[in-house]
Amino acid sequence: MAGLELKQLRKSYGKVEVIKGVDLSIEHGEFVVFVGPSGCGKSTLLRMIAGLEDITGGELVIGDRVVNAVEPRDRGIAMVFQSYALYPHMTVYDNVGFGLKLARTPKDVRDQKIREAARILQMEHLLDRKPSQLSGGQRQRVAIGRAIVRQPEVFLFDEPLSNLDAALRVDMRMEISKLHNDLDATMIYVTHDQVEAMTLADKIVVLDGGVVQQVGSPIDLYKHPANLFVAGFIGSPKMNFVEVNADKVSGDTVNVSGPDVVGVPVALPAGKVRPGDKLTLGVRPHDLVVAPSGAIVGRVGLVERLGNETIVNLELPSGASWLAVLDGDQALKRGESLALDVDPARALLFDANGLAVAAA
Amino acid sequence: MKKRTSILGGAAAIAATFVVFVIPFIFIILMAFKDRQQSALRDFSWPTGFHFWENVVEVVKTRNWMMITAFINSSIITVVSVTLLVIFAAMVGYVLARRKTRWNGLIEFLILAGLMVPPAVVPTIWLLQGLKLFGTLHGMILIEVAYNLPFSIILYRAFVATIPRDLDEAAIIDGARPLDVFFRVVLPLLWPVTVTNIVVQSVGIFNDFTNPLYYLPGNANATVQLTLYNFQSQFSTAYNLLFTNILLITIPPLLVFMFFNRQIVAGMTAGAVKG
Repeated sequence: MAGLELKQLRKSYGKVEVIKGVDLSIEHGEFVVFVGPSGCGKSTLLRMIAGLEDITGGELVIGDRVVNAVEPRDRGIAMVFQSYALYPHMTVYDNVGFGLKLARTPKDVRDQKIREAARILQMEHLLDRKPSQLSGGQRQRVAIGRAIVRQPEVFLFDEPLSNLDAALRVDMRMEISKLHNDLDATMIYVTHDQVEAMTLADKIVVLDGGVVQQVGSPIDLYKHPANLFVAGFIGSPKMNFVEVNADKVSGDTVNVSGPDVVGVPVALPAGKVRPGDKLTLGVRPHDLVVAPSGAIVGRVGLVERLGNETIVNLELPSGASWLAVLDGDQALKRGESLALDVDPARALLFDANGLAVAAA
Repeated sequence: MKKRTSILGGAAAIAATFVVFVIPFIFIILMAFKDRQQSALRDFSWPTGFHFWENVVEVVKTRNWMMITAFINSSIITVVSVTLLVIFAAMVGYVLARRKTRWNGLIEFLILAGLMVPPAVVPTIWLLQGLKLFGTLHGMILIEVAYNLPFSIILYRAFVATIPRDLDEAAIIDGARPLDVFFRVVLPLLWPVTVTNIVVQSVGIFNDFTNPLYYLPGNANATVQLTLYNFQSQFSTAYNLLFTNILLITIPPLLVFMFFNRQIVAGMTAGAVKG
């Protein structure tokens, strides 16, 4: 069946290059999420795969065909839009069957496919309604139904849950995941929400400025981000950063110090870092623990007690502010001095170019 | 205090509307019921007898049933012109709104020029004669389409912009070719504008007096507006027949309005197109 290959894909609008040589390989049946901040090119990349944007350079291969010049309808793809893009003047039945009607599918075959899609998405009772008579979640389902009925090799989702309220988003997220399992289809999903990315993806592609920052499984990206951008993007709340210098290197531990931290040990194989190197230390809020003799000392700013955890805003000597998510309920007072520690294996170091100093 | 002013203002508006719109219509109806002598008085006197039916018969029979030919000609011109206008203007409006090319500026300039520059009659006649279209119905249709296209295009372009591009793209992914996208997705959504265009253009084209006068001479080619001249001449005018004629040719536009009126209102209150 079909996988996808993106080979050095480029896209320029006039002189402005927005996609700068993307290489990616997607296996059949994978759920791939393109994630990144606004303007990073993820939607553009998706549209290039769909055929809605021309490809300026490189090759796009779907299955075993180079499809750069192939029309969208012949690429074996189906797309679900952020705004659903349902045809307002047609009923749900006609919306879902529009593509089949254009392909001159016989009426009985068409009817059977539409009803099958409706059954999968539990929207048989909606077939005679018009889009204006549906709720947001129902419209989204019709949009998905329209995609399913095409029996594509690749499903493309362009921020499909952005227009839904929070509760509905969680429900639809689970439905999409279930759909992926049921249909065993390749799905490419674009979102700016990293929680959606982490929960849905087999593979996440992090994009920034038209360049792929990192590709990997969600946990891979969480534990071993390749650079500062990925480290700061994945994980909520955001990772804390501070500029440090490498002090002492002994065996597989590097001690780093900076204006705000003194002697924080970081587990790293020998030879990766030399004393005096300028580095950035990254620590996730969840990895900080209270330790009387901790290396990270500051003043408590804001405290949010959530019952199961406590979110503390720590003001460091240089004026920088770190966020710590501490286990359990900690009765901390504003202005109090607080010392925190981090597990050497969880702390991350990035070199002067922003790249992760590889742990292995 | 406020209430009295608004009542007075309202009453004044009603009175003004009555004078401008209703009184002339009453006059027309009164005149259509009179005989020739009484109508020559041209006043608001009540008709002495019921001459309406004989007036109608007289009007229709004049000049070898010219009225019938005229109605047929006018109807053909109006229906075909409006159909062509709707299709072509919608197509142009669609491409102009969707595709950004460097020709857009030039095309928009030409459309505006078409709207503002009055047509030159003699060169147009010369052109029609060269194309062997002068004095033919299809020539007349082309003229009406050409003269009314700019207005229609501007109307359509504004409304196509309110249809989200997502719908086009969804249709393309579904396998629609450009004409499919236009006829199956975009044009149905432009129905309120199409209705407005049909009403405005058909009334305008049906009521058009000068263009058929210039470009469609001859008795066989008469349109309904030209039949008014049957009853007016330098020395004698049969006012009763003239006004009966006026009444008769008012009926088709009135029917168009009545038929489409509800659709126009529905179109305006239907709200924005939402995908």
